[in-house]
Amino acid sequence: MDGAQVTPGQTAGLYTGAAVLRLAIATLLPALPDLLTGRVEISTPVTSFKRLQEGLFLYNHNVSPYDGGVYHQAPLLLPLFSLLPSFTTLPIFTYLLYIAVDLLSASALWRIADSGEAGSSALFSSPRRTKRWSGFVIAAVFLFNPFTVATCLGRSTSVFTTYAILHAIAKAVSGAPFGAMAALSFASYLSMYPLLLLPPLVLLSYDRQRPERAIRSVAKFAAICTATVAGILAILFQMSYFLTGSWEFLPSTYGVQLTLSDLTPNVGLWWYFFIEMFDSFRSFFLAVFWLHLSSYVGGLTVRIRRQPLVVLTLLLGILAIFKPYPSIGDTALFFALVPLYRHVFPLMRYTFVSAAVILYATCLGPAFYHLWIYAGSGNANFFYAITLVWNLGLSLLVCDLMFAVLRDEWEVERPEMVGKEARQI
Amino acid sequence: MRQLLPFLSFLWVTFLSSCVFPTTASSDYHEQLNLRPLPLSALLASFNFRSNTTFSKFEKGNFRFFPRSLGQILQHAGTRELHLRFSLGRWDAEAWGARPWNGAREGGTGVELWAWLEAETDEEADQKWLTLTNALSGLFCASLNFIDGTRTTRPVVSFQPEGDHAADTDMQLLYGVLPHEVVCTENLTPFLKLLPCKGKAGIATLLDGHKLFDASWQSMAIDIRPICPSGEECVLQIEQTIDMVLDIERSKRPRDNPIPRPLPGDQLPCNTSKHYHSHDTCFPLDHSKEEWTLSQIFGKPVKGTCPLADSTVPPVCLQVPNSRSVFVSKDVAEKKNPDGVSRCFYISPETELELMLPRPDDGASTDILTPETPLLYAERSFTGHGQERGGVQTILRNPSPDAEVEFIYMETLPWFMRIYLHTMEARVAVQASSSNNKDRNSRSDDINKSLIQQVYYRPALDRARGTQLEVRMRVPPASTVFLTYDFEKSILRYTEYPPDANRGFDVAAAVITILSPGEGEGGAEAGAGARAAAAAYNLRTTSLLCSLPTPDFSMPYNVIIFTSTAIALAFGGIFNILVRRFVAADEGPEAGLAVLVGKLKARLRGAAKGVKR
Repeated sequence: MDGAQVTPGQTAGLYTGAAVLRLAIATLLPALPDLLTGRVEISTPVTSFKRLQEGLFLYNHNVSPYDGGVYHQAPLLLPLFSLLPSFTTLPIFTYLLYIAVDLLSASALWRIADSGEAGSSALFSSPRRTKRWSGFVIAAVFLFNPFTVATCLGRSTSVFTTYAILHAIAKAVSGAPFGAMAALSFASYLSMYPLLLLPPLVLLSYDRQRPERAIRSVAKFAAICTATVAGILAILFQMSYFLTGSWEFLPSTYGVQLTLSDLTPNVGLWWYFFIEMFDSFRSFFLAVFWLHLSSYVGGLTVRIRRQPLVVLTLLLGILAIFKPYPSIGDTALFFALVPLYRHVFPLMRYTFVSAAVILYATCLGPAFYHLWIYAGSGNANFFYAITLVWNLGLSLLVCDLMFAVLRDEWEVERPEMVGKEARQI
Repeated sequence: MRQLLPFLSFLWVTFLSSCVFPTTASSDYHEQLNLRPLPLSALLASFNFRSNTTFSKFEKGNFRFFPRSLGQILQHAGTRELHLRFSLGRWDAEAWGARPWNGAREGGTGVELWAWLEAETDEEADQKWLTLTNALSGLFCASLNFIDGTRTTRPVVSFQPEGDHAADTDMQLLYGVLPHEVVCTENLTPFLKLLPCKGKAGIATLLDGHKLFDASWQSMAIDIRPICPSGEECVLQIEQTIDMVLDIERSKRPRDNPIPRPLPGDQLPCNTSKHYHSHDTCFPLDHSKEEWTLSQIFGKPVKGTCPLADSTVPPVCLQVPNSRSVFVSKDVAEKKNPDGVSRCFYISPETELELMLPRPDDGASTDILTPETPLLYAERSFTGHGQERGGVQTILRNPSPDAEVEFIYMETLPWFMRIYLHTMEARVAVQASSSNNKDRNSRSDDINKSLIQQVYYRPALDRARGTQLEVRMRVPPASTVFLTYDFEKSILRYTEYPPDANRGFDVAAAVITILSPGEGEGGAEAGAGARAAAAAYNLRTTSLLCSLPTPDFSMPYNVIIFTSTAIALAFGGIFNILVRRFVAADEGPEAGLAVLVGKLKARLRGAAKGVKR
């Protein structure tokens, strides 16, 4: 597929195929989407569709959904979903919305792949960049990834965040910093954690500015971008305030991510840790976990300055491991960006191990959860252990990708070292 | 002399009190025991103690029949009306029929408390509520102080004040329930101490913890309310009620040999009218044909009457048809009531009352009264399996062939049951006889929409307050309605589980308040503001046991260590790659094991040379 031209027919075929697959599963197996909605791997307290329905029900009956412990999602989702025909009577419209968002994400990913940013950014060109997959393949990998399909069918609201992030990156690589910042503001408004992607996204937008109206000073550019994000977020919050009539939504939507008051199991590391944590140390470790999560942003952005898209990819991988309520939807976003680095795959050392560990955890995770919750023959440690394995597998993949990218950078300085053994000191 | 002085003052007080408050017939205190045999060899015993005190005396602290300890608590906490319930067991409505007092004097399993407090703001009400629950907790030796914010609700339509209150007073209703509380002897003793005769004389002598808490169902109630008769001074009324259903056979077992043993086949009481009755098959009789006496059931006879009680009120009444003969001890006057189904007994203060209900004649069919059919049957259960999510299903059956029942269904749920209100639905059980399937569906849709008329919902807030759900609904005549909704079980912090975490968490009984017919319609329009219809009948479902997922309690340290290790591996791995620079394998300084081994070898070599020299 390298460099091959994609006909409009193939494009349409890919999108139609992905849409038909999702619709077919939803209509032929009508019980499956509800089953997926209930899975803790797909729906977290901050993205669950069932909680969204409850919030919508309360909103439509003039009860504040934020004056309760069930709904923790952004207020603007409520009018969006109340415009749709009711899910109970006409579920097809909800499915169509989710499928459309998935297809839009795929098209944004396609634009990112076609820009060639992964192989050659403004400050760095990889000698291996010719060896890459086309946007068609990358979009197909995203659309037919079982994790993406499951998240779409489970109607987790994380697909909106995924689309907003991918759209922000696509806008940034196509030289539209304002669009990128606006999309990132929406992503942060929906899920809060994408705010951590701001520094690399600012650098990416800076590197890919259109020459005719470029801002030369990094500091000035960053200040403008930050101000844009802050301004758009302020507008969004103000709109939410008018919509719900109070600021109650702030603690309920973002506070729950900061304090982890809802300890529903998920694939992440936080829930069991804070179930078992001693009360007097709870706030200390919450602070440590958030500090740890944000510590990667600075380190990666500075060290891999020449390839901001790599920083974004690695950060998304790290967030899929360490954020408070991760789901496989976040992993699907990370897996969507990894194929952009086809050229460094030969430099990765543990692909088999990490792939095997991730597959192993994928198969055993639901089984162990069943043993704990339904069969009663296992206890909470079963599911906890498998989430540990899953996260170790993912962090191995992140480390390995980072190693490969850095080695690729190093081989530009030392072209004679290609194919030779190297070590780090 | 020092010892004599208190004695003299005691005499003086006794003398004074006998002068000022002569124990005449027009006493403000009366007590009564109602005995009603129920089917399946059960006996309902309803004790009722009631006394009044005028407001002027109450405010001056001049307590006579009104218990001082309780009165001071009420004054301190600004309580206008108070209802406290201690209950145990299940009222078997299918067999026993309608509840005593129309369900107004009973609570759900555990402890239930609701009160109208004088308060202008919510904070003031919460403060007074805290004072009240803590004081009552001490008085009744119950864990009432555990009624905190998560267990307190403010019902909007379910409860109405029973007493007469001035229209302009700011009152707030607070309701708290402890379904897990085990009611036992330590609650009965303070209860009896509130009585003027302290359980030493009168019908209260029958109340013994061994019998009361051995009952199939029992409910102790305290109701305090102001009553304003027209043209007279307002009085504060305290009513203490104990209802218990005793199993006659079980109560008659001797205390030293309490283990039940199967009867030999030929002694089983069988229903001989069944066509399959023969020497080896037996259908058990609905009504026990056993005889019983008061002292067999309660362990002792009634010891006289309380001298403070109104002597015009008969202390003991028995509800059996007038045709049955009842034996009583001598000096007891029996008076049959004109309704033909009850009789009362008068005794003098010093005599003991012993009562014996002999075996009815085999031929007599009217030996026991058929229990009254309740207005509504209700049962509630959990659906679903697993510890992740579940559902609640309440089956409400209206036995009446022609009258519709309108009621308010109230649930107070703990915060860790996250209910999904959008899944709540009420449907009429589909009768199999209906012919056209499609037609039936569309019709039942119409009916279902009108089943739920009004919903008042206050969602739970994690660790701050519980769910409050009040549903005003109706059940059409002769039909069964299923009310269902889904909920999710949340997982708690390990310190929030009780010591017996795997037993589960008790969920309080649902309170069903049936509105008296006719008044219901006006109430729906007037909403919460107007004092809606008075309750015609109350009932409560059983409490439920909800099992939550549990973490492994034994390994907080292990989890902290494992998770920290996983994080350290990722953090270390990533920053290790980030901060180091690449060199070829053969460049740069030696590192690792090889360097150590080399150094060690050099040392050894040096040492060996030294030894050679």
